[in-house]
Amino acid sequence: MSALKVIVSAIEQVADGICHFTFAAADGGELPGFSGGSHVVVSMPAHNRTYRNAYSLLSSPADRRNYQIAVRLQEQSRGGSRFMHEQVKVGSRLDISWPVNLFPISRVGHKHILVAGGIGITPFMSQVHELLRTGADFELHYAFRSPQYAGFIDQLQQLLGKNLICHDQSQRQVLDLQALLSQQPLGTHVYVCGPAGMVDALLSTAYELGWPDAHVHHEEFLAPPIGEPFTLRLKQSGKSVEVGAEVSMLEAMEAAGVDAPYLCRGGACGRCELEVLATDGVIEHHDHYLSDAEKGSGKKIMPCVSRAKCSFIELNL
Amino acid sequence: MQHGYWIRSKPVYHSLSWQHRAQAHVLVANGEAGRSIVRLLHQRLPDQPITVLYHPTQEADYSKSLVSLAGENLHVFKRESELWHRFEQILQQSVMGTRLYAAGNEYFLWQATTLAASHGVLSGDVMREQASSLARSVYCVHCKTISHRVTTNIAICTGCQRHLLVRDHFSRRLGAYMGLMIDAEEPGNVPEAEEVYP
Ligand code: FES
Repeated sequence: MSALKVIVSAIEQVADGICHFTFAAADGGELPGFSGGSHVVVSMPAHNRTYRNAYSLLSSPADRRNYQIAVRLQEQSRGGSRFMHEQVKVGSRLDISWPVNLFPISRVGHKHILVAGGIGITPFMSQVHELLRTGADFELHYAFRSPQYAGFIDQLQQLLGKNLICHDQSQRQVLDLQALLSQQPLGTHVYVCGPAGMVDALLSTAYELGWPDAHVHHEEFLAPPIGEPFTLRLKQSGKSVEVGAEVSMLEAMEAAGVDAPYLCRGGACGRCELEVLATDGVIEHHDHYLSDAEKGSGKKIMPCVSRAKCSFIELNL
Repeated sequence: MQHGYWIRSKPVYHSLSWQHRAQAHVLVANGEAGRSIVRLLHQRLPDQPITVLYHPTQEADYSKSLVSLAGENLHVFKRESELWHRFEQILQQSVMGTRLYAAGNEYFLWQATTLAASHGVLSGDVMREQASSLARSVYCVHCKTISHRVTTNIAICTGCQRHLLVRDHFSRRLGAYMGLMIDAEEPGNVPEAEEVYP
């Protein structure tokens, strides 16, 4: 995949543990356009390996001079978010992917309810610009632990006024999903991004109330979990790749110079799907993409987040 | 007549069944399809409120059976336009989780779908059952008139009187099949019509 070359032009701490980075094109020109909800994958060349993480674009899609992303320092960081927080300085050069949108606003929706939990606010930052521009009927519900964890709150308040509804958990303001989802007019779409528990609660509440699936949108990027090391055999190229405990299969293939496909790197989009030919162990599926039946068949794997408990696994690549 | 192969624009219908995860249920039906609603009301009913809008026609009137099953949840309309007016009002006041069911001839089904779509309901989320008659509404591509209740493969356009070949190409927006002049090349050479959509 061809990369975009950017220079970090500003870094700002926006909330506890959350840093805000501004990128400009390295050649000083315009960056490619994107739509609300898009993300880019940032390559982070640490000394022993390259991390690649997906981050939502926060800036207004109308602004082609800069891209902005927010990175939360993950407590159990495998290294990506720590690299961004500690190594990247103003003036650093980075490679990023072209913007990809896996979380667009429905064009046929009559009303849009955006629900963010904590750092899950990020994909909505560009979406609200788009919704404001088109004059759509929408509201943003933002749930956070306490105000010092609520990134972008001032900016959002200014931009949205009463269309921003905050749920500050330190003030015991809980987001009542049942109440929220049972009173929406026909033609409403709901979008959620946040911790897994919140996403699951919203999806099941909507389902129980009879919301059609096509009206319920979610974005949840998973980080590849840590596991046990194993060997990956690639049938077509005849290569053999060692997958360490703390790297994903996709990262291990990339480090070995294999050109494997990906878009979200978070088990959501389906782009990285590969065929499993053989293994002497069991596959540990972590993605949101494959159906339960597909997972059960053991014939497919999403190497960006899934791995195997085995000594070897053979893929058709 | 075209048969034996699948044309993408030709819709597929199912028989209605209750969607038990819901906040409310709204059913619209006309004529013959009243029977589908009767059948549905005989099944285990969902817990949420049900509203039935029905337009009896000359061919079939199931109002009596429907009244006995649906009571005051049933609204019978003398004219179809009144039914659509009421449906529109209900759509305006409905919340997400309201399930929509339509039973009727094809034209009726797609009118319901189009109206629902204007309130942001996706076509796939309206459940549709085609009434027993397969009669087609045919859109004349020459004069743009829609002729209803066509049961034959060749029909005379009610607008321009041309002989039309009834094709399988279906417009969901119009709720009708395309009709093309059959004797354009050789005027007067019209094959015998067959009743293929009884
Ligand atoms: S890259 Fe999207 S699912 Fe793996």
